[in-house]
Amino acid sequence: MKFLDALLGRSKPVRSELDRLFAMSTAALTLKVNLGLESSGRAGICFRPLTAGRFAEAEEELRRMGGIGERATNTRITFQTDEHGFRWVVLEDPEIEDLVAAMHMISLTLEEHGFGDRLLAAVFKFFEKGRPLFWIYNYKRGAFYPLVPAGEGQQRDNPAELRLRSLLEGELPMEADLERWYPLWGIPL
Amino acid sequence: MAKHWYAEDKQLTVRMLLVMFLLAALYLGFIAVLWSSGMNIGGVVLIAAVLLGLQYYYSDRLVLWSMGAREVSRSEAPALHGSVERLSALADIPTPRVALVRTSVPNAFATGRNPKAAVVAVTTGLLERLNSAELDGVLAHELSHVRHRDVAVMTLASFFATVAQLLMRWMFWGGVYGGRRREGAAAMMLIYFASLVVWVISFFLIRALSRYRELAADRGAAAITGAPSQLSSALLKISGTIQKIPTRDLREVEAMNAFFIFPALSGDALSKLFSTHPSLEVRLAQLKELEQRMERR
Repeated sequence: MKFLDALLGRSKPVRSELDRLFAMSTAALTLKVNLGLESSGRAGICFRPLTAGRFAEAEEELRRMGGIGERATNTRITFQTDEHGFRWVVLEDPEIEDLVAAMHMISLTLEEHGFGDRLLAAVFKFFEKGRPLFWIYNYKRGAFYPLVPAGEGQQRDNPAELRLRSLLEGELPMEADLERWYPLWGIPL
Repeated sequence: MAKHWYAEDKQLTVRMLLVMFLLAALYLGFIAVLWSSGMNIGGVVLIAAVLLGLQYYYSDRLVLWSMGAREVSRSEAPALHGSVERLSALADIPTPRVALVRTSVPNAFATGRNPKAAVVAVTTGLLERLNSAELDGVLAHELSHVRHRDVAVMTLASFFATVAQLLMRWMFWGGVYGGRRREGAAAMMLIYFASLVVWVISFFLIRALSRYRELAADRGAAAITGAPSQLSSALLKISGTIQKIPTRDLREVEAMNAFFIFPALSGDALSKLFSTHPSLEVRLAQLKELEQRMERR
């Protein structure tokens, strides 16, 4: 099929893969126990909004869910727009399991509102000895990869990232293609 | 006592022993053929011994000369000397001499007939590209070659291959200019083909052995530095893999819609047989496993 699509120049929106997000809830334990990586309690979903009207509706539902979530599990939800024009749903919860569950639920809600193929990435923020690092989940690839910012400016600590990959392989569905380890700069977490 | 994380890799050891055994069997068969042919091949063996002996004894000077490496003093390259000293202390070997090759190609090698006469050389391209931790990984790999006495092992492993090669050449020229003794012709043919077979098979066996020695040196490097990721990061950098990790923002790329690219085809299996070094994937996989075992401890 791929060959035919290429031959005829057809492209379809790639479906988002949501369920592999759950791998983070078990991986977080390994990160904490074996590597001393602490969850910052903050995570975000980044997506490209389509039209304002439909989006407002979805956001309204998310806010409602947020209200319910806050009462049930203490997950706080806020919204932001970044400099690229992408929308962020920022979640806060000290319990990583709740955080992951909420991430999944929100992704599902966004998908139901037709934003499925607009989902770009889910980001989990961790701390390693006070240094922030991120696990980025690419919805379209259904895979995680690390982002360890280094110093000032848009620099990455590649060795640290590769080390994280080698240690978490088998626990997290890992993005195998290094060329797709695109960073996100200025993550609002 | 619990097994250490860098404890020997059984599979690698078995493979190495198997290759050495095959090589020994091949050489013994070769000796048997030479013996049964009733020809006096003592001269050829002697020449091979002298040739390889010289190559072995002068390996440091020979290799440095052929690579265009220049020995550098402590004052010329204090940081490099410092790293080599520290790592050889950790590896418990005498500090080797240090040499530098002026080329932008990132590379490193070690030579010398024994740890006392060893030289570790790096290229300027390597120094420019790697940070100090990665350089430590590469230096530790080279020091492992020294510690494992790889020059001696490989010289020994290729001894009868050299004999076979010499015989082949000798037979060839003998066949062209000689041919005076008709009765010896059959024996000559036999030796020629035996040499050919030995030379070809040993070529592949020696290359396999070389690949296993490289993997062993990678393990050795991990044991010395205690940080397998330093070497993997260096290997990735040298091979250009780390340049693959983008720094461009995902949102910019997404906006460009340049997201769906066909995966590149991977290399073929045949080239593996001819190479003296294991593939990057194999080396990284081993280092990765060491890293995992280390963390799990």
